[in-house]
Amino acid sequence: MHAKDIMTTDLVVCHPEQTVAEIAAVLNEQSFRMIPVVDAEHKILGAVNTLSVLSSLVPSYIVTGDLESIPYAPDIGLLRKHYITLLNRNVSEVMEKKPTIVHADESLLSVTAALITYDRFEYALVADADERLVGVLSSSDILKRLAKTPHENSDDA
Amino acid sequence: MHDVHVTHMMFGLDPTWIAVSILLVVYGIIMAEKFNRAVLSLLGAGLMILCGVLTQEQAVAGVDFNTIGLLTGMMVIVAISQKTGMFQYVAIKAAKLVKGSPLGILVMLSVVTAVFSAFLDNVTTVLLIAPVTLLITDALDVRPYPYLFAQILASNIGGTATLIGDPPNIMIGSAAGLSFFDFLVNMTPIIPVIFVVTLGIIWFMFGRDLHASEENRALVMRFDENEAIKDVPLLKKSLTVLFLVIGGFTVAHSFHLEPASIAMFGAALLLLLQTFGQSLHDKDHAYEGIMAEVEWTTIFFFVGLFIIVTGVEHTGVIGMLAHKTLELTGSDFNATVAAILWVSAIASAMIDNIPFVATMIPLIQDMGSTFGGADALTPLWWALALGACLGGNGTLIGASANLIVAGFAQRAGQPIVFLVFLKHAFGLMLISIVISHVYLYLRYLS
Repeated sequence: MHAKDIMTTDLVVCHPEQTVAEIAAVLNEQSFRMIPVVDAEHKILGAVNTLSVLSSLVPSYIVTGDLESIPYAPDIGLLRKHYITLLNRNVSEVMEKKPTIVHADESLLSVTAALITYDRFEYALVADADERLVGVLSSSDILKRLAKTPHENSDDA
Repeated sequence: MHDVHVTHMMFGLDPTWIAVSILLVVYGIIMAEKFNRAVLSLLGAGLMILCGVLTQEQAVAGVDFNTIGLLTGMMVIVAISQKTGMFQYVAIKAAKLVKGSPLGILVMLSVVTAVFSAFLDNVTTVLLIAPVTLLITDALDVRPYPYLFAQILASNIGGTATLIGDPPNIMIGSAAGLSFFDFLVNMTPIIPVIFVVTLGIIWFMFGRDLHASEENRALVMRFDENEAIKDVPLLKKSLTVLFLVIGGFTVAHSFHLEPASIAMFGAALLLLLQTFGQSLHDKDHAYEGIMAEVEWTTIFFFVGLFIIVTGVEHTGVIGMLAHKTLELTGSDFNATVAAILWVSAIASAMIDNIPFVATMIPLIQDMGSTFGGADALTPLWWALALGACLGGNGTLIGASANLIVAGFAQRAGQPIVFLVFLKHAFGLMLISIVISHVYLYLRYLS
């Protein structure tokens, strides 16, 4: 079985010059966890997910643990202040530039290996031979496929 | 001073050369900052004994346990009190008192840093205040550099003010028999002058850049200092012990008590109070946690250093250096005070002021005979303390607190560049030394 056999092809994509505000709206309204970023020719440039937006909101000295728990700070206020600044930025500034990319004819074994190796994403972007985006494949797509009956799970399906 | 000279040869080498070589090699490697300084100083101390420069008995006698006890005791007290969140409370309270004004916050956080540094160690102070500063400047949308810069200077200036503010003062006070009260009377008065002048110049340098919108100032006002207090009963216990200990330092001399006894007693008392009413198992667990937070690296660094300096002192080299210094200054007291002040300041800007002061102490003690006894030396001790503590402001590597703040700035994505800091700070350091010089001259020399 290959990546192309179980990938989702009904895709919402975005372009690098779109603003974070537009993407945030899509992420929120459609409950997407990830949106691929492609150029005019549909070549993969990266991906934005909820974490790539959030990770631009927290100052690095908090991430590195210099402050513990911080109960005294106006947390929503601080986060929203950064969020509002971020909304006018371009997608290219927050996107993950090295998403997990697999090829359409890669085997599921190799796709699964790729997903668990690059732990940043639960999704792999599926590309054709010209590195154009043709689909998306999530870790749960694979699990769901495995849960099907043994009959359906034959290798030549 | 030449009667202590060891005359017999060791391995065919003059012990003087062995001792001086150990000191120079250890100091050299400490400066290169490639190895842990405690390990180096203990290796050096061990070599002093193994090479026969000192007996173990002489080495142990050379360790100033008053310094060691005072440092350890205060470290225990600080390790417990910092868990209460009182430092964050004070920093936030101070920022809100000035209604979130960017310039007001710069001043308030510097004052808080200076006052805490005067009574606690500088590293702990900046370790607790700098991250809160980053949060506040983030809320204000202002560059953190002026704030962190002011805090570095405030921490070293504040630390100069009291006997317990900075390790060089602890060492000097202990060696010269100067009390906490002596420091309050002689050192503390000039510190506000230096602090105000320094802040004034910082305001002149950075004041223009410090603007914040009403919205961002309102965000600062939404910080809740009460949430910072994590443990109210412990806070009460910590404050009680801190006041008792500082009060104890002030009156200790009249009761012929050394500061180390007070600090260690305070530490033991707070350890007892902290765990009052807990099960034996929990108590042991808590004690071990606190003991692990004591900076043993620093303590062992001091132990090793005292032994190394004692070794060199034993060979008569320091006496000889004192003699040479006096030749250079023509045994003129004013010139000697000036020389010690300026040399200490420049040296401490570049090297660790602790080994520098450890070496200078016996050197100054050796001058006693020239200037008419140990009591006459007091202005020299103030010169050494002012030079060594304030000199730390000269460069980014001048004091440990500087490096700690630089580390935070780096992690906040706003690194403090060595040369930029040098450009801003070195002149300010020189000005503080000029003020100190004038003060010493007017008060003790004219």
